[in-house]
Amino acid sequence: MFLAALTACAVSALLVLARIILGKTTFDRVLAVNSLGTIIVIGIALHGFYANRPEFLDIAIVYALINFIGTVAILKLFSTGSLKGNNK
Amino acid sequence: MDKNPILRIATKILFAPIILFGLYVQFHGDFGPGGGFQAGVIVASAFILYAIVFGLEKGKELFPLNINLFLLALGGILYGGVGIVSMLLGDEFLSYNVLGSSKQAGQHIGILLVEFGVGLTVSNVMIALFYAFVDFKSSNGETK
Repeated sequence: MFLAALTACAVSALLVLARIILGKTTFDRVLAVNSLGTIIVIGIALHGFYANRPEFLDIAIVYALINFIGTVAILKLFSTGSLKGNNK
Repeated sequence: MDKNPILRIATKILFAPIILFGLYVQFHGDFGPGGGFQAGVIVASAFILYAIVFGLEKGKELFPLNINLFLLALGGILYGGVGIVSMLLGDEFLSYNVLGSSKQAGQHIGILLVEFGVGLTVSNVMIALFYAFVDFKSSNGETK
């Protein structure tokens, strides 16, 4: 079961990696990196479940949080050229 | 005015839970993964997210630079202060055993205070770095 879930994660990670390398626009790549982060969050949670160590969920939450903030920051930087403005 | 309503509302919803999670990591550090450094970064990420989404001015309104620098120094003073207090109570620098009524209580109080100082300093250093880099002026004076 664990192996099947891990294989599904690996396959989707490879697909997303292909999109990061081939990506036509910057925003495709940003979205792909965000998806890769989500897959890694799933991987961390899976490992925590398999190793009977629920503390890994904390790490998964932090990873998801940093992933979200990083994506927002990158998108703002690309769309406005600076992190300073107020998105109006 | 509101160009990105999803982002703004998501930030407003997430802001308090992020800080709560930071406090959980801070005070749960004795039993699981976590501690001052990680908690500091998590708490700082809440303020950085706010400043990214609502703009640097609003971020500095929420968390002014002078309070930021004051708390930055306070964390270091708290860390060193615990060491000095344990010296004044007749043991070595940062020896927690003399801080409480028993050895266990002393260790508990000492670790809690020192980790709190570390968390305070790390979170405020992160926010100060963010403010400094976002406000960065290039050498010919124009803001990027």
